[in-house]
Amino acid sequence: MDLIKLEEILFIAAIFSYLVCSGIYIWYLVSRNRKAASLGTALLALGLTAHTVALILRWITSGHAPMANHYESLSVFGWAIMLFYLTAEKFYPIRAAGALVVPSGFIISSVALVFYSGPEPLAPALQSIWLWIHVSIAMLSYGLFALSFGVGFIYVVQEYLLKKNYDHVMGAFLILFALLGLVFGMWAGSYWAEPARVIADESTGAVKSVWSGSDYAKMFGGAGVGLVLALFLGYAAGKGASRQAFAKRLPSLDVLDEVSYRGIAFGFPLLTIGIVTGAIWADQAWGRWWGWDPKETWSLITWLFYGAYLHTRLTMGWRGRHSAVLAIAGIVVVMFTYLGVNLFLSGLHSYA
Amino acid sequence: MNTEKAAVAASATTTSMPIGKRIVHFLVSMKLALTLLFVIAILCIIGTILPQGDNVYLTDWPNNPLFDFYQTLGLFNMYYSWWFLSILSLLMANMLVCITKRLPTTIRHVVRPRVDVKDVFISNQPVSAVIDGEGQRVMKRAVKALSGRRYRIRTGASGTVLGERGRFSGVASISFHLSFIMLAVGALLGAFLGFDETVEIPDGRTAPIPHTDLQVKNNGFNLETVEIVDKGRVIGYRPLVYSSDLEIYRNGELVDSKVIEVNSPLRLRTYFYDLLNLEGINFHQNSYYRTSRGYVTVLGVNQLPGKNIIYLGFIMMMGGITFGLYFPHRRIWIKVGKEGKLLIGGRSHRSKVSFQRDFDQMITELRQSPQEEDKS
Repeated sequence: MDLIKLEEILFIAAIFSYLVCSGIYIWYLVSRNRKAASLGTALLALGLTAHTVALILRWITSGHAPMANHYESLSVFGWAIMLFYLTAEKFYPIRAAGALVVPSGFIISSVALVFYSGPEPLAPALQSIWLWIHVSIAMLSYGLFALSFGVGFIYVVQEYLLKKNYDHVMGAFLILFALLGLVFGMWAGSYWAEPARVIADESTGAVKSVWSGSDYAKMFGGAGVGLVLALFLGYAAGKGASRQAFAKRLPSLDVLDEVSYRGIAFGFPLLTIGIVTGAIWADQAWGRWWGWDPKETWSLITWLFYGAYLHTRLTMGWRGRHSAVLAIAGIVVVMFTYLGVNLFLSGLHSYA
Repeated sequence: MNTEKAAVAASATTTSMPIGKRIVHFLVSMKLALTLLFVIAILCIIGTILPQGDNVYLTDWPNNPLFDFYQTLGLFNMYYSWWFLSILSLLMANMLVCITKRLPTTIRHVVRPRVDVKDVFISNQPVSAVIDGEGQRVMKRAVKALSGRRYRIRTGASGTVLGERGRFSGVASISFHLSFIMLAVGALLGAFLGFDETVEIPDGRTAPIPHTDLQVKNNGFNLETVEIVDKGRVIGYRPLVYSSDLEIYRNGELVDSKVIEVNSPLRLRTYFYDLLNLEGINFHQNSYYRTSRGYVTVLGVNQLPGKNIIYLGFIMMMGGITFGLYFPHRRIWIKVGKEGKLLIGGRSHRSKVSFQRDFDQMITELRQSPQEEDKS
């Protein structure tokens, strides 16, 4: 019981440090203060350590890898983004990109808190060594795709800044923030709605939420509030970014292009291994390695998408903005595969 | 860079080609591959929205006046319809042609890499530099710097040195693409020579297994559950573990037995276990349901010849993509030029920025304080 409480406290502490780090990274972009930069990195490392300990505690208290429900897997997702960002920062001069990536990791971790649930026993189908192998590899690939998305976005902004096309800079920020606001507002609203839960499938123990009219009103209300708030934030961010001095603080186009590509070049093999380990697991559990289950099919769609990205880049010579736009679009597919499938489509993966 | 130029040249010539040739050109092109990837992705999305297989009978679709027509089109069995499988086959064919076209170059890179090159060849590389000073002496240090960076060194007849990394990147890429052919072959073998059946056996009963001379007896179904609580109220039970105690008989003779769980199937090797996994029959605890007389085990029984081909495909797929993308092919040529200065230049198949950075770093090292390094 104490360990469960400690885990929650450490996780909230980690999220708090991510929030402060987001502020520091954004402030670094404006102030160019080197002390702020190293303070941000140190605090991020500290938060990541707390987060790591929280994950280990959850593993101990639940008796299985922390990947069995949305809280656990989102927590691992946020953790992976921060881990990979810190690693990338060590090897590439991309600290400026942290102003986008670190807040992303913060948002995903705080959404995990929205889905918070105590440790639960594993459903029979999940009781396998493959659970943590399959899920952790898939999560690592999602984290890398998220990194590519963030860096790809900065690429587009940097390119418009260099062309002094400030309307487009503002447009890019508004679109990004509007999408984030809609999605996270809807999530917050659905958390507030508290729908009734019923047993959907007796043999798997899958639980389904039953939504009423007032629940939908809260959900879309949340989306509306999120959109308005996000547009204000996006306008402020776009206004702040629309200065020539800002372009000098962002990494060069070549570095951004390369890091965005590298995220996918490392993420794609991991996604491949994630899908194959899933196939091996499905073969063991149900005696079939591929069954066109919605989650399987959407992972295939994600895989086809990034496969196409790699072909346009490696054999057709696409670079720069075209690649960046694909890396940005890719995250929509990833997010649907990860969360959308469980929320909107039913299938064998609907445990959470 | 070469491929880019080639692509531009190709598109310039296609406009003047006769229509038949142009069609052939399109069939073997990357454009077709990308189009097919896109089309398959869109169809997959449709397939996850429309109910597939027996699920369609749980919806209102069967009441639709055009339902029979949709069924004939295969809309509700899309992934196994003739047109979806044809599109997959077209992609496979396109891939095979692309692999075949690339094969000679890939083999040459591994077996007979180009070591002896002209001065112009080096200075025309995407990254290149000329280093002042006594050529032969700098050469020694350059070779040392290359092998320190884990480049494999080859020296040609004319004294030109080639340093290489990730030589097998191309082979890995081909292995990755070939793995799809393996999966297709394995899946076809399973579909035509194997079977996949669902057998329902009430607690304590015996049932025959279709396609075989086996009977299976369910000696006992066991279920452990925990409560599911919502807002302080118990709304149902979640299964924690469930298992069936199975005995397999042939002509009344016990062949094998096991208590199976979801992730722990019974794998029966009835005759002999050969390369194609031809005789392995697997019994999976797929699910269960409850009747007034007790529990019924839902058993998945299958025999999938070609499984080993599929697993080999998995290994080729994972290994191929990992080696192909993590270890790109990098080549650097070093030569003492006509004027006695050292020429150095090279190219990377992928990750060009980090290659350029490594290269620049090495050049800076070579230009810095040569005396100090010579002494040590």
